[in-house]
Amino acid sequence: MPNIVVLVKQVPDTYSERKLSEGDHTLDRDFADAVLDEINERAIEEALQIKEAHDGEVTVLCVGPDRATDAIRKGLSMGADKAIHVLDDALHGSDLLQTAKVLAAAIRTVEDVDLVIAGNEASDGAGGAVPAVVAELLGYPQLTHAREVTVDGTTVKVTRETEDGLTHLEASLPAVVSVGEKINEPRYPSFKGIMAAKKKPVETVDIADLGVDAGDVGLANAWSTVVEAAPKPPREAGQRVEDDGDGGVKIAEYLVGQKLI
Amino acid sequence: MNTFTESEERQALRAAVADLGRRYGGEWFQRKARGGEKTTELWTEAGKLGYLGVNVPEEYGGGGGTIGDLAAVCEELSAAGCGLLLMVVSPAICATIITRFGTDEQKQAWLPRFADGSLRMAFAITEPDAGSNAHKLTTTARRDGDDWVLNGRKVFISGVDEAAAVLVVGRTEDARTGRLKPALFIVPTDAPGFEYQPIEMDIVSPDKQFMLFLDDVRLPADALVGSQDAALMQLFAGLNPERIMAASFAVGMGRYALDRAVAYAGDRSVWSTPIGAHQGIAHPLAVAKIELELAKLMTQKAAALYDSGDDAGAGESANMAKYAAAEASIKAVDAAVQAHGGNGLTAEYGMGALVAASRVNRIAPVSREMILNFVAQNTLGLPKSY
Ligand SMILES: Cc1cc2nc3c(=O)[nH]c(=O)nc-3n(C[C@H](O)[C@H](O)[C@H](O)COP(=O)(O)OP(=O)(O)OC[C@H]3O[C@@H](n4cnc5c(N)ncnc54)[C@H](O)[C@@H]3O)c2cc1C
Ligand SMILES: Cc1cc2nc3c(=O)[nH]c(=O)nc-3n(C[C@H](O)[C@H](O)[C@H](O)COP(=O)(O)OP(=O)(O)OC[C@H]3O[C@@H](n4cnc5c(N)ncnc54)[C@H](O)[C@@H]3O)c2cc1C
Repeated sequence: MPNIVVLVKQVPDTYSERKLSEGDHTLDRDFADAVLDEINERAIEEALQIKEAHDGEVTVLCVGPDRATDAIRKGLSMGADKAIHVLDDALHGSDLLQTAKVLAAAIRTVEDVDLVIAGNEASDGAGGAVPAVVAELLGYPQLTHAREVTVDGTTVKVTRETEDGLTHLEASLPAVVSVGEKINEPRYPSFKGIMAAKKKPVETVDIADLGVDAGDVGLANAWSTVVEAAPKPPREAGQRVEDDGDGGVKIAEYLVGQKLI
Repeated sequence: MNTFTESEERQALRAAVADLGRRYGGEWFQRKARGGEKTTELWTEAGKLGYLGVNVPEEYGGGGGTIGDLAAVCEELSAAGCGLLLMVVSPAICATIITRFGTDEQKQAWLPRFADGSLRMAFAITEPDAGSNAHKLTTTARRDGDDWVLNGRKVFISGVDEAAAVLVVGRTEDARTGRLKPALFIVPTDAPGFEYQPIEMDIVSPDKQFMLFLDDVRLPADALVGSQDAALMQLFAGLNPERIMAASFAVGMGRYALDRAVAYAGDRSVWSTPIGAHQGIAHPLAVAKIELELAKLMTQKAAALYDSGDDAGAGESANMAKYAAAEASIKAVDAAVQAHGGNGLTAEYGMGALVAASRVNRIAPVSREMILNFVAQNTLGLPKSY
């Protein structure tokens, strides 16, 4: 009966325009719609599938501002049992290392954790290192880039997929697993799930509750800072090639012109 | 309703359904329709997630929610371009009537399948010679021993090809007075003597309309819904949900057209600015937005009144919502077609198909004129012309 903690992050919807604030280059949260990161929906889905196969319990853990409750609710409506929300103004502007520290501290408050599941990387920051840092801090083995996860007794097996190919990993529990895009198709919350979510326990804690020092977190104490940010230049209009039987030649000419072939 | 925002759960439901709808979408829907196919995958998936049975009581496996919840589901799918017309009929009218008036056996037999969407039930009231005027219904049921024997014709009945049964509005002869009074029967689509033929419609939709022929259709006693005396109440119980759902379906359709038009008008430049900068294009879209929001608000009011048990209060609002939503959807589609220029009538952009589809909103399930009659007579107290 694995006890699973899923790390979830609320991110600006990739469908909406995303922006950093003028002043401190932190995310302008008023600007974009906030949603549960899709990779975390997959992480939750994986946790739920493991739960469905082996029983157990799924806790979603989120470090984020007030409105991150929406992302937590979504996780609960998908079927997670309970949630921990680390909510503290002092966290504003925290970087990857600080966030990982807070996550690790929060995971330690959960009794008998068997498995921590995260997404490979968040769609906004795209640091891609939180799962590894959390594993390091907890002293758990890390099995990242998973496209397949199986839990068998006290071991977890993962098929790891990177550009270099597939690797088959095995570790004993407790462990941290991070999942990639191909892991599964996340379920939609059912109507009953949505209605039940409100009644599920959400424990809201601040950093003092976790024994984290305010001097260790937040923008002022971050290990990395965003110095400058510029919006992506708009995509240039493409070039249309009419195929009058010589389409292939024209494409080749274009690619030669671009020095691509 | 003492607030103008929906509950957290309702909003979460909308978001979840909108996500699902987005995965199917308008192009998928029209491709299915043009290919003579059905929207079964979407119906089945939405059903499994409990979205089609939100209003069915929990004891029968439903969501235990409200018509307001069901209307939100209907609107969001429609707003994604893949509205399920049969939602107006099957869970809204048929499941409501069976829940409120069916016998225990009928509830046991039918409601669990409404709950998960595994059943579709069509609803047949319109007849060739009794459209807007339900007093002229001639489909009759005669008692024969314990059985009922039905005879009659119905027209424009949606989704019969996909339905396991049809809830047929007929009449029975009162044993004492000999007068005809309404009665509702659940007729399985494979009952001997029951035949249906598609009507060729100029609407691009996977949901088809049918002529029904009932010739000596023999039904067991329990085909009659509830008790014979409650039929009029049953009909009225189904009407408000039907109108609220039709309004939601129309609001969603309008939202879909408007979203498409806004995206197009913000992108397409003919002179130096995108066409959305021209007030000739922008203002009709803004009007459409306002009128859709107003219609949606009235629909929410009607649902809130209905769900609070105020049938009479809901009646007026539901009629007004249905009227407003139909008109707003027609206007939104009109503006969207125009904003698309020539592309407004291509199959690729799918706006032309909405012209006919949105006109249905003005005709069915109750026509604009009959709503205006209702408001003139019941709300304003004006004399009747018919
Ligand atoms: C796509 C579609 C799906 C449908 N699905 C179903 C279904 O599933 N089940 C079902 O039972 N029916 C269904 N219908 C039928 C629909 O409910 C009827 O078409 C509608 O009620 C109008 O009836 P009618 O077509 O007989 O028009 P009529 O009653 O012949 O009316 C024609 C016109 O005259 C007007 N009119 C009539 N009487 C008056 C009056 N007293 N004052 C002013 N104007 C008046 C009407 O408003 C209308 O504009 C569907 C129709 C369509 C188009
Ligand atoms: C059935 C059909 C047959 C056709 N046959 C022919 C044909 O035989 N030969 C031919 O050459 N063309 C033909 N056309 C093309 C037709 O002439 C164009 O569709 C029409 O001129 C509009 O151009 P557009 O589609 O590019 O729309 P757009 O120019 O993109 O306009 C889109 C919308 O923006 C509005 N708009 C654009 N600019 C402004 C502005 N400055 N101020 C306010 N509003 C503006 C337009 O009014 C329109 O509603 C046909 C189109 C159709 C649908």
